[in-house]
Amino acid sequence: MARPDENEPPVIEPGHGDASVTDAIGSIPLSKAPKSWLIGFAIGFALLMLLIVSVIYLFSVGVGIWGIQVPVAWGFAIIAFVFWIGIGHAGTLISAILLLMYQPWRTSISRFTEAMTLFAIAAASLFPVLHLGRPWLFYWLIPYPSAIGAWPQFRSPLVWDVFAITTYATLSLVFWYIGLVPDLASMRDRAKRPLAKIAYGVMALGWRGSARHWHRYQVAYVILAALAAPLVVSVHSVVSFDFAVAIVPGWHSTIFPPYFVAGAIFSGFAMVLILVIPIRRIYKLKAFITDHHLDNSAKILLVTGLIVSYGYFSEAFYAWYSADEYHRYMMYNRAFGDYAPYFWALIAFNFLAPQVFWFRRYRRHVPTLFAVSLLVLLGMWYERFVIVVQSLHRDYMPSAWRFYDATFWDWTTLLGSFGLFFTLLFVFVRLLPMVSIAEMRELAHHEREGGHS
Amino acid sequence: MSDHTRRLPIVSHGGEPVDRAARSGGDEARDAARDEDRQLEQSAAPLGDPGGTEHPDRREFFGIAGASLALAGLAGCGRGPLRDDIEPYVHEPEDVVPGRASSYATSVPAGAAETGVLVTTHMARPTKIEGNELHPASDGATDAVTQAILLSLYDPDRSATLFRDGGATTWRRVLADMRAALARHEADGTGLRLLTGAVPSPSIAETYDRFLGRFPGSMWHAHDPLAPTRARAGIEQAFGTIGDLHYRLDEARVVAAFDSDFLMEGAGAVRYARDFAQGRRRGAADMLRLYAAEPMPTVTGSVADHRLPLRSGDVGRTMLALAAELGVARSGPGDETEREASWVRALARDLEDSPGRSLVAVGERQPVSVHALAMAINDHLQNVGRTLIITEPVDESAGAGTLSELAADIEAGDVQTLLIAGTNPVATAPADLAIGDRIEAVDVSFHLGLYRDETARRCRYHVPEAHPLERWGDGRAFDGTLSLRQPVIRPIDGGRSPLDVVAALTPDAVDVAGEGPGADRERLRAYWRGHPAFAADFDATWRRTLHDGVVPASALPPMSVTLRDDALSGSRGELEGARQQGGDEGDLELAFALHPRVLDGRYANNEWLQELPTPITNLTWDNPAMVGPTTAERLGIRSGDEVRIRSGQAEVLAPAWVIPGHAEGAMTLHLGYGRELGRVAEGRGFSAEALRSSEALWRAAGQAQATGRTWTIASTQHHHQMEGRDLIREASAEAYERDAEIFARPIPDLSLYPDWEYPAEKWAMVIDLNSCIGCGACMVACQAENNIPVVGKEEVVNAREMHWIRVDTYYTGDDDDPEFRHQPVPCMHCERAPCELVCPVQATVHSTDGLNDMVYNRCVGTRYCSNNCPYKVRRFNFFDYARRDEAHLDPGRNPEVTVRTRGVMEKCTYCVQRISLARIEAKNEQRPIRDGEVVTACQQVCPADAIVFGDGNDPDARVTEVRQSPRNYGLLEELNTRPRTTYLAKLTNPGPERGSGR
Repeated sequence: MARPDENEPPVIEPGHGDASVTDAIGSIPLSKAPKSWLIGFAIGFALLMLLIVSVIYLFSVGVGIWGIQVPVAWGFAIIAFVFWIGIGHAGTLISAILLLMYQPWRTSISRFTEAMTLFAIAAASLFPVLHLGRPWLFYWLIPYPSAIGAWPQFRSPLVWDVFAITTYATLSLVFWYIGLVPDLASMRDRAKRPLAKIAYGVMALGWRGSARHWHRYQVAYVILAALAAPLVVSVHSVVSFDFAVAIVPGWHSTIFPPYFVAGAIFSGFAMVLILVIPIRRIYKLKAFITDHHLDNSAKILLVTGLIVSYGYFSEAFYAWYSADEYHRYMMYNRAFGDYAPYFWALIAFNFLAPQVFWFRRYRRHVPTLFAVSLLVLLGMWYERFVIVVQSLHRDYMPSAWRFYDATFWDWTTLLGSFGLFFTLLFVFVRLLPMVSIAEMRELAHHEREGGHS
Repeated sequence: MSDHTRRLPIVSHGGEPVDRAARSGGDEARDAARDEDRQLEQSAAPLGDPGGTEHPDRREFFGIAGASLALAGLAGCGRGPLRDDIEPYVHEPEDVVPGRASSYATSVPAGAAETGVLVTTHMARPTKIEGNELHPASDGATDAVTQAILLSLYDPDRSATLFRDGGATTWRRVLADMRAALARHEADGTGLRLLTGAVPSPSIAETYDRFLGRFPGSMWHAHDPLAPTRARAGIEQAFGTIGDLHYRLDEARVVAAFDSDFLMEGAGAVRYARDFAQGRRRGAADMLRLYAAEPMPTVTGSVADHRLPLRSGDVGRTMLALAAELGVARSGPGDETEREASWVRALARDLEDSPGRSLVAVGERQPVSVHALAMAINDHLQNVGRTLIITEPVDESAGAGTLSELAADIEAGDVQTLLIAGTNPVATAPADLAIGDRIEAVDVSFHLGLYRDETARRCRYHVPEAHPLERWGDGRAFDGTLSLRQPVIRPIDGGRSPLDVVAALTPDAVDVAGEGPGADRERLRAYWRGHPAFAADFDATWRRTLHDGVVPASALPPMSVTLRDDALSGSRGELEGARQQGGDEGDLELAFALHPRVLDGRYANNEWLQELPTPITNLTWDNPAMVGPTTAERLGIRSGDEVRIRSGQAEVLAPAWVIPGHAEGAMTLHLGYGRELGRVAEGRGFSAEALRSSEALWRAAGQAQATGRTWTIASTQHHHQMEGRDLIREASAEAYERDAEIFARPIPDLSLYPDWEYPAEKWAMVIDLNSCIGCGACMVACQAENNIPVVGKEEVVNAREMHWIRVDTYYTGDDDDPEFRHQPVPCMHCERAPCELVCPVQATVHSTDGLNDMVYNRCVGTRYCSNNCPYKVRRFNFFDYARRDEAHLDPGRNPEVTVRTRGVMEKCTYCVQRISLARIEAKNEQRPIRDGEVVTACQQVCPADAIVFGDGNDPDARVTEVRQSPRNYGLLEELNTRPRTTYLAKLTNPGPERGSGR
C-alpha cells in the first residue's frame, strides 16, 4: 500500500480502536434521531409526496402534462433519467474500482456512496417508465416468451438500456447488501429493542464472524467488485447509445460513450461531496471522513471535469471538421441559439469551476468544495438538457423547428425524484450503519499496526 | 327509446349509390320507391331459427347468454345524444353489405354555387366526401372546405330546436304563427321580404318565386359575402348585360391575377387549380405563366412567377397603367414605382404575345370600376369567350335586392314580415347597416338556418335547417352545370329544407305538399319533370342523373357580349383616386378578406377547418391582422402583439401577425371570426365587421396601434427559412430543358443492413412541387380518411398538432418581396427508416410491400421514433386526442381505420386501408392490383393533381414513370434514408423580359 506523504491528512483520525469505531458508527441508528435528520427527512418525504401526486396525474391523463412535443419528444424525464444514472456512478467507482485498486480511503465513504448509487438508480429507473405514452405496458421492453411471440426490437438502444439498468441495479443491490452483512450482525448484537434485534438478525443471515465467514465474505466481495467494475464503464456507455445511435445532429457522435462515463463520475462525485460534507458534520464522523477524502474527491472532479470538457471541445471540433451542414448548424445554434445560456452555463460550471481544484487549498476548503459541487451538479443537468432538448428542437427540417418549454408538472416530477432519493437516503442513514464498521475496524487496525496489508 | 337518446337515422331516400369499382351507369340504379323509408327495425329480431325447436338447445342457450351479457355491456355505454344502438335487421337491405362502403353522388355548396361530390357511407353513415369526376367543378377533386362539410354534418352545436321569442317551441306553433303572419300579406305583400344567401338551386329559386308571387309586392333580397356581386356589376358596366363569369385556364398561357385568389376562392377554384397545374406541366415553350399583384400573400400569389405586393387600393391604378401600356386606356396614372412599372411592362408584353390565350383576373374585393377595366382589357386581348366566359348568372338571386335596400326599407317601416334563409347578415354584414337591430324592429322575423347563429338570435322564430348532406335539392356549378343533391342520411337533428318550409307555409303555392325528405324528393321530381334534359324517359334519366350526380352538358352557354363604348367612362377618377385613400404615413389601408378556411365564418364551428393551417402563414384557430415587416417595424409591433385598429369611429382589438410579402402600408383583416355559432367558434379571433361599412365593403382607411398586450397565436410552422438546405429543388423550366441533370445530387449508399426485398408491390408516392399550390386540401382529406383527431388551439401552441401530412411553406429571397415555396410532407416510408431501428418494441416495422407500418396496439409510446425521424412526420397522442367519449364523433369516423388511444404514435400509412381493400378485391378476382386502383386520400383530393401513388415494382405504373423523371429527388436523401415518397423539383417560368432574377 502506498504510504501517504506527510502533507496528506490521514484516512482515519488516529486513536480509534475497534470498540470506538463500532460505537461511533453503530450507535447512530440505535440512538434518537437528531433534529436535523427530522427536518431533512420531512423535506424529502414532502417532495416524495409531490412525486406521487405528479405520477397519479400523469397516469390519469397522459404525458401531455409535460412540455414535450414534436420535435422535442423527449424532455425532463429523459434528462432526469440520464442525470440520476450518472449520479449513481460515483458509488460504483468508489466501491468496486477503488477496492480492486486497494485505495484505503474509499473505505469510509463506500457504504454511503453505494447506498447513494442504489437510490439514484431507483430515482432514475422511474423515468423510463413514467415517460412512456402507455406506461402500463413497460414490460414489453423486457424479453419474455409472450404468447403472441413478440419480442423486443433488439437493435434499439432502449432495449439495451433495460439490460444495462437492471444489471446495474441488481449488482449494486447485492454488492451493497453483502458488504452490509457483518455490520448487520454487529447491529444485531448491539441492538436492545427486540424488534430491532429481530430485524437486524434476519438481515444478518446468521453471521457469526467465524474465520470461514470472513474468508467467504472477502472472496464474494472481491468477485462482486470485479463484476461491478465494468459496469462503471458500460452502463453510461449504453445510456449514451440512446443518443449516439440516433440520426439527430448533436446526438449522433462517437465521443458519447467515454464522454458520458466521465460525465457520470463527475456528477456522481459532486453529489457525494454534497451529501458527505453535511453528514460528517451532523453525525460527527470527521474522524472517518477526513480531509483526505475531500481532497481525493476534488481531484477526481478535476480530472473527470477535464475529460468532459474535452468532450465539449471535440464535439465542436468535429461539427466543424465533418463539414456536415446539419452538425455545423447544431453547434452554432448550441452556442448562439435560443438555448445558448444553458450551453454557456454548463461550460462555466463544468469546465471553469472545477479548475480551482488545481490548488490544494481549495481542495480542502469545505465551502468551496460544496459550492463547486453544486455548480457541477447543476452544470451536468444543463448538459443533459442541452443534449436532449437543444439537439431536438432544431434538427433537419426547419419547418418543424419549435421551442421547448417545461411545464409545472415537469418541475414537480423532477423535484419529486429528489424527494424519492432523499427519503430513501434518510431512511438508510436512520436504520443502517452509514460507514462500514467492519472495514473501518480493519483500517483502524492497520493504522495501529503500522499497516501491513 | 327514451327522450334523451336519439337514433341516428339511416339513409332512406330512394337515392342512387355509386358503384365505386366501376361507375357503370343506369343499370346499377335501384328502384327508388323500394328504397324509400327503409329503416333499421327498432325491435330486436328473434334469436334462433324461426322455424326451429321451441326451446333453445345448449349452444343456443350459451349464445343467448353471451349476447345478453354483451348487450348489457353495450347498454352501459350509452353516452350523449347521438347514441347508436346495435340492433339486427329484420329485413336486410339489398344494397347494404356490412363492412362495405357505398358511395352516393350528390352536391354541396362551393362558394356561391355548387360542386359535385361522392359521399362515402358506411352502414348509412357518411364518412368521407370525395370529388365527382363527372362534375366539371370537381373533376374528382375537392377543396379543404368541401372535405370539412362532412364534420359539420355531425356538429353537435347544429341547431336542433325551434325557437319562438327566445324559447323552445314546436313546429306546429311556428307554422300557425307564420301562416297568420303571412295571411296579412295576401292582398299587399310589400311588407313581406325574403332574405337569402346565394341560391344556385333552380328548384329553390322557382319555389321562392312562386312563394313571393302569392304575395303581390313582396320582395327578395340577397346577402352572401361569397357571391361575386362586384364582378357581376363589372360585367354589367362593361358589357351592359347581367351575367357571371368563369375562366378557362386550360386555354390560357399568360394569366394576371389582380388581388384575385382564384385558385382558392370562389366556386370554380378547384377546377382552376386543376387547369392551372396542367398548364404548369406543359413544356417551357408553352408553360402557363402567372403574374399576381395583391396585398396579402395568397395561394395564387404564392405560386405566381412574378408577384407584386400591392395595396388593394393601388390595384386599380396598376391595372390602369397596364391598360395604358396595352392601349386600352389613353394614359396611365403616371406615378407608379419602378418596380410596379417594370412588372406592368413585362406583363403587357407577355399578354400581347398571347392574344386569346391570356387572362386578366380580378378579385371580388376590387371595386366595380376595376372589374370593368379588366373586362375591357380582356376584351382587347380577345380573351372574352376564350379564356373568360360570360354566362347567364349561376346564382338565381343575382337579380334580387340588396341588404342595404332591405335595411333602408326596414328603417322606413316598410317591412312587417321578414323571412331569412341560408344567410347570416348579423355576423357578416358591415356594421353601419346595424342589421341586427333592424331585424329586431321587424314585427315577424323568421330564420331558417343550420345554427342558432347571431341572426337566429335576433329573429323571433328560428327553425333548424337540414344539412346539405341531409336533403334533396339541385344546384348549378360555377359554369352553370346542373347537379342533383340526394340526401345520404336522414336529418340528424330533424332539420328542414327551404322547399319543405315554403311548402308548409304556403301549401297552395307548391305542387307537392307534405313534409320530410320524401315530399322534398317528389317536389324536386315535379320540378325537373319539365326540364328539357329530362324530357325523354323521366324515370330513367332521373335515376341516371342521381347516379352520376350531374346533368350532362348542362353548363350555361357562353353569352356573346360586346364592350360598351362608355364602359370605362367615369371610372378613371375612381381608379386614380384610390391611392390617396390610406396614402398618408400614419394611415394604413385596411383590406378585408374572406378567411381562407372558414370563409365568411359559416364554417367557423368546424374544428377541421379551424385547425387546418392557413396557406402561407400556417396559422390555426385565429385570424390575426396581417402586416408586412416594414410596416410592422414602423408600427412597432411584432407577431402576436395586440393592436387597436381604428377606422373612423369604430375600433377593434386584434392580434397582429407579420408576414413577409404583404404590401406595406396596408393591413389585411380576415373575416369569419369572433363568431357565436357554437362551442368551437366561440371566442376565437376577432370580428372585423365593425370596421366595415356598406360604402367601403372591402377596404377602409385606418390606424393601428400596439396596446402592449399579446395574444397567443397557434402556428404550425415557426420557421419559414430553408437555411440554405436542399429541401426544395427548383430551376426555371428553360434551364431544366437545357440541362435535365440540373437536379441531380450524389446520394450515399452504405448500410449495415441488407436491402429489403419487395416480392409483390413496392408502394411509392411522388409529389410534384411544380403542381402543388399549397392549398392544404390534402391535410383535411387525410384527417377525414384516417380519423385524425383535432387537438385544439392550446395543443397546437404546444406543438402537438396531429396532421399526418403537412404543407410546409418557405419564404425565399427578400423579406419585403419574397417568393413562396410549398412542400407537402407526409411520411417518407424510408427504405432505411431511422424510426424502425430505434423502436424498442417493434411497433414500427417495414412491410413486404414497402410501407413503414405503425402497429398501434404494440406501441408503448417511447417517442424515440419521432426523435429519430429527420422529417418529423410522426405524431403522438400526448393526451386522449381522439376523444373517444364524445359520441357525436363516432358515426363520422372511418371504420376501416383504428381510432388511436392516448400514448400511441401515429403517422401517414399511405392509406393502408385502401391498399388492403384493393388487395382483397384483386385477390378475389385473382389478378394483380391494377395501377390507379389504390388512390390515397391526399392524392384523390388534390385539386392540382400533384400527388401520384402506385406500385414502384410495376414497370407500367404511372408512379414508376414519374420516378424516372430527372426532376425526381428524395427529401434529405443525403442522410441515406432512401425515402419512398419523393418529390418532383419545382419549375419556375419567369418572363422573358426579366428572365434573370425577379
